[in-house]
Amino acid sequence: MRVGVFVCHCGRNIAGTLNIEKIKEEVAKHSGVVHVEDYIFMCSDPGQKLIRDRIKEKNLDAVVVSACSPSLHEKTFRNNAASVGLNPYKVEIANIREWASWPHEGKPEEATEKAIKIIKATVEKVKSNIPLEPLSVPVTRKVLVIGGGIAGIQASLDIANAGLEVYLVEKKPSIGGKMAQFSETFPTLDCPQCIETPKMTEVANHPNIHLYAYSEVVDVSGFVGNFKVKVKRKATYVDWNKCTGCSECAKVCPVKVSSEYDVGVSQRKAIYIMFPQAVPNKATIDPEHCLRLVYGKGCGLCAKTCPAGAINFEQKEKIEEIDVGAIIVATGFDVMDPSLLTEYGGGKYKDVISALQFERILAPSGPTGGKVVRPSDGKEPKTVVFVQCAGSRDPEHYMPYCSKVCCMYTAKQALLYKHAVPNGHAYVFYIDVRTDGKGYEEFYERVLREAEATYLRGKVAEIYKEDGKLKVLGVDTLTGKGVEINADLVVLATAAVPSEGIKELAKVLRIQTDEYGWLKEAHLKLRPLETATSGIFIAGAAQFIRDITDTVSHASGAAAKALSLLSRNRIEREPLVAEVNEEICSGCGNCVEACTYQAIKIDPETNIAKINTALCEGCGACQASCPSAAIQLTNSYKKQLFEMISILAKE
Amino acid sequence: MRVPYFPGCSLKDFADNFEKSAFASASVLGVELVELPEWYCCGVVAPLEEDELIRKVAPARNFLRTKELGGNKLVTLCSMCYNTLKLTNLYMKKNPDKLERINSFMDEEENYDGTVEVIHFLELLRDIVGFEKMREKVKKPLKGLKVAPYYGCLLLRPKEVAIDSLEKPTVMEDLLKSLGAEIVNSPLKKTCCGSYQVINNKEVASKLVYKIITAVTKRGGEAVVTSCPLCHYNLDSLQKDLSDKYPGYKEVPVFYFTQLMALAFGLEEEVLGLEKHEVNPLNLLKSKGLI
Amino acid sequence: MAEKSVEEGKEKFEPVIVGFFCRWCTSEAADLAGTIRLQYPPNIRPIRVMCSGFIDPIYVLKAFLEGADGVLIGGCHLGECHYINGNYKAQTRVKVIKEVMKSLGLEEERLRLEWISTSEGLKFAEVANEFTEQIRRMGPNPLKKLKRE
Repeated sequence: MRVGVFVCHCGRNIAGTLNIEKIKEEVAKHSGVVHVEDYIFMCSDPGQKLIRDRIKEKNLDAVVVSACSPSLHEKTFRNNAASVGLNPYKVEIANIREWASWPHEGKPEEATEKAIKIIKATVEKVKSNIPLEPLSVPVTRKVLVIGGGIAGIQASLDIANAGLEVYLVEKKPSIGGKMAQFSETFPTLDCPQCIETPKMTEVANHPNIHLYAYSEVVDVSGFVGNFKVKVKRKATYVDWNKCTGCSECAKVCPVKVSSEYDVGVSQRKAIYIMFPQAVPNKATIDPEHCLRLVYGKGCGLCAKTCPAGAINFEQKEKIEEIDVGAIIVATGFDVMDPSLLTEYGGGKYKDVISALQFERILAPSGPTGGKVVRPSDGKEPKTVVFVQCAGSRDPEHYMPYCSKVCCMYTAKQALLYKHAVPNGHAYVFYIDVRTDGKGYEEFYERVLREAEATYLRGKVAEIYKEDGKLKVLGVDTLTGKGVEINADLVVLATAAVPSEGIKELAKVLRIQTDEYGWLKEAHLKLRPLETATSGIFIAGAAQFIRDITDTVSHASGAAAKALSLLSRNRIEREPLVAEVNEEICSGCGNCVEACTYQAIKIDPETNIAKINTALCEGCGACQASCPSAAIQLTNSYKKQLFEMISILAKE
Repeated sequence: MRVPYFPGCSLKDFADNFEKSAFASASVLGVELVELPEWYCCGVVAPLEEDELIRKVAPARNFLRTKELGGNKLVTLCSMCYNTLKLTNLYMKKNPDKLERINSFMDEEENYDGTVEVIHFLELLRDIVGFEKMREKVKKPLKGLKVAPYYGCLLLRPKEVAIDSLEKPTVMEDLLKSLGAEIVNSPLKKTCCGSYQVINNKEVASKLVYKIITAVTKRGGEAVVTSCPLCHYNLDSLQKDLSDKYPGYKEVPVFYFTQLMALAFGLEEEVLGLEKHEVNPLNLLKSKGLI
Repeated sequence: MAEKSVEEGKEKFEPVIVGFFCRWCTSEAADLAGTIRLQYPPNIRPIRVMCSGFIDPIYVLKAFLEGADGVLIGGCHLGECHYINGNYKAQTRVKVIKEVMKSLGLEEERLRLEWISTSEGLKFAEVANEFTEQIRRMGPNPLKKLKRE
């Protein structure tokens, strides 16, 4: 065996802590190592060329690159070796950056020792790796998009326009998402009705898009290129094939419920169409409030009224199975419940509202017809206090992160408020005003001039009711003075938080979330559209709160990723699957039980375990269950693990 | 139950009625507060300086004394002492290397191992004694007495030493309810009392006290209840000037929660030390038939 | 006293700990800990495996027989396994391994199983710190002494 070891400095990231000369000296002594070489950036073009040259010159038949995490450049180095004829599975990465130089900066000697051990163990592993060819599997050239906000809409349209079929699953009765709730959008003051509604209609009419509204993804199995998805189509109790969206039913329904679409600013009926421009424009019965469904009898006014005879109280939810090759998760965000912010009287005072509620009040098509009135008594508020960072940038209480969009929409709301109430005055409490987008700073400057809002740099400490007013106690850190404002209405720019149910969905998809519940990308900088599970992509605010411009770009990016994955009829899969040594296998069946994927069967004729490589995911659970080491995971052989352990466990 | 107790300077001087009433009420509940045999100043804010480890020696010694008394919990009455000792203790627990250095400054003593827990008397009452048990000991319920709890800052901030919810504390409310008092909820119960500004900028403190007290009287409060000698000093002593300055200003007496406990437990009036109050509480207590 | 403790520090026992980290969660957490420069003792020597459910009890025993003073297994949180339930398998096996360890005269605390997800770099560093300290307090693997004798 002729192993070459290449040690990367990663600038000073590795070489600043580890003693490269010592590493080279020690590793060169290890059996099988015929060449050791270091370079400042192994992943750079000259670095990769260096490896290619040495593979040829020194006739290397295995390579260990001692550098950063394999999650970053394993693929790079494997492809590089393959280009000069070395099987990519004869290349292994020894992670001496994340696992040695970075976490032990103050201990160069010990860190160097640790790195040497890691490299030697990796050399042992690569020596027994067998060359492999990727498995080629056919793909289903269809995409599942979860979430029908502007991200899901954009991604679906991009893919459908490229000619592939899309299943768009939305849990609410209509697509449109948060954007459909906004009044006007910064910095252009376009109304979403004018810019989003056409896209929603396009989705509804696109021959390549199957729209599953009021549906949820409940199970996903399979792998990249071949996912099997179970979608629960919730019962709407209305036959959508017959429903014409005339809304006669809602007019006669006697039950009023707080409207989700208007965030509680108005009421809807127990049978409802989310909003006039809803897509699909069909009625849905809310089973928790419909008298007929709750009591099992009576009422039924809607059924009597419906001219199309579409009401069906007997309708049942159903599960549909679909096959797709890629999945895009576009589940968006939610805003923090203002009632969590007790210090601001959230949930306690009717006139302390969230910014999303204020969007509805400002919206020309909203419940007040664009007339700005406060919820408690319907009067026009003359003094409005906007509290930014309500729950954001607050590590002690709530979310440590910046919610990114609040500075801009608060400025926009202050402006729209001034337009609606010219003799009113707005105060804005802020920590910093962040205007990091095209045209954003200009817009903010315009608001300062036009809205004549008083911007106060500081936090609000307390909001309480006194003498019929909302007393806002805060501080202006620029003058160093406490501020007291008697407000008619307080608008909280509540923190953006991951959408409800995202953690459960992530479990179904077997993808990760971060500590808050935002979806975890494969790499924050370089792979922000992908999850660690190949074939599953993220679009929009599900990864982290972002504005409409960024969401649309992100969604088109995710669509491009899915399209490039599905641009061929077959894709290559990692060949790291289980294998059976037929001479040793006694057919005990332990592995059959250990396998989660039913990929192993005992052949009734030979009484030997047989693996279905198409089903095997390569987890290695079978190997741990086999009493005689007859079943092993390719290139994670027992022999390799033993050698690695011997090296690492020794002092 | 014997619990090691750290007094601090105020409790031996202008706030001795706080200590006296606490000792007396504690014994009704079967709790004996055992004063540390030889205690040092909590250090006020000095031990919170991170890079001057020598300043943390005084708290460390107090913890050693606690262990010598055979306890692992140290109770304080003063909110400032509580805050300083608890923060310093947490720092030592979180930084074993720093603790090693602090220990190296003390040559004749055992090493402090970070195992003492600092608690405020309110926590002891809530978590160990229980307000239900307190209710059983009430002989003279504070019926009809409208009291406004006042927390100030030190019991609630920073988060890691907060004895209750930072934004919506209820410990004093629950305690006072168990004594039969009627709670008046003031939105300014966590507002700064002016603290040391009373010395170099009395006007600042005075204004704050005016706001805090009027927020209470506006809501029908007849008395303010606190746990901090400094808050008590500001809230009580600065009210005299306010009456001169703001016509129609209504003075309200300020109590330590322990005084109200002693009162409700039917203890001798002298343990309350009411003569120390600037704003005379006698009329109020008489009108409610409590003395 | 001060001098004494410094002297003690010099002779500190440096344990060897072998870590088996699943590639989906704990390996990523270890990467993250490094990326954000959290510092933890270099005593843990990691092996990246596909899944915690891959870990054959024999690997753990091999590590102890080869002289490791502690073994740390890291997997995804229960319910979050990339392979659905590999970590449950690991959990069951660890119980069995601990029984075997006891019969060999090894304290079961020398083996630890932790669920550390991708985002928990901080937890990874904390576990590394704490486990290293724990093994340091426990002293060397008793099997090593036997071997020498």
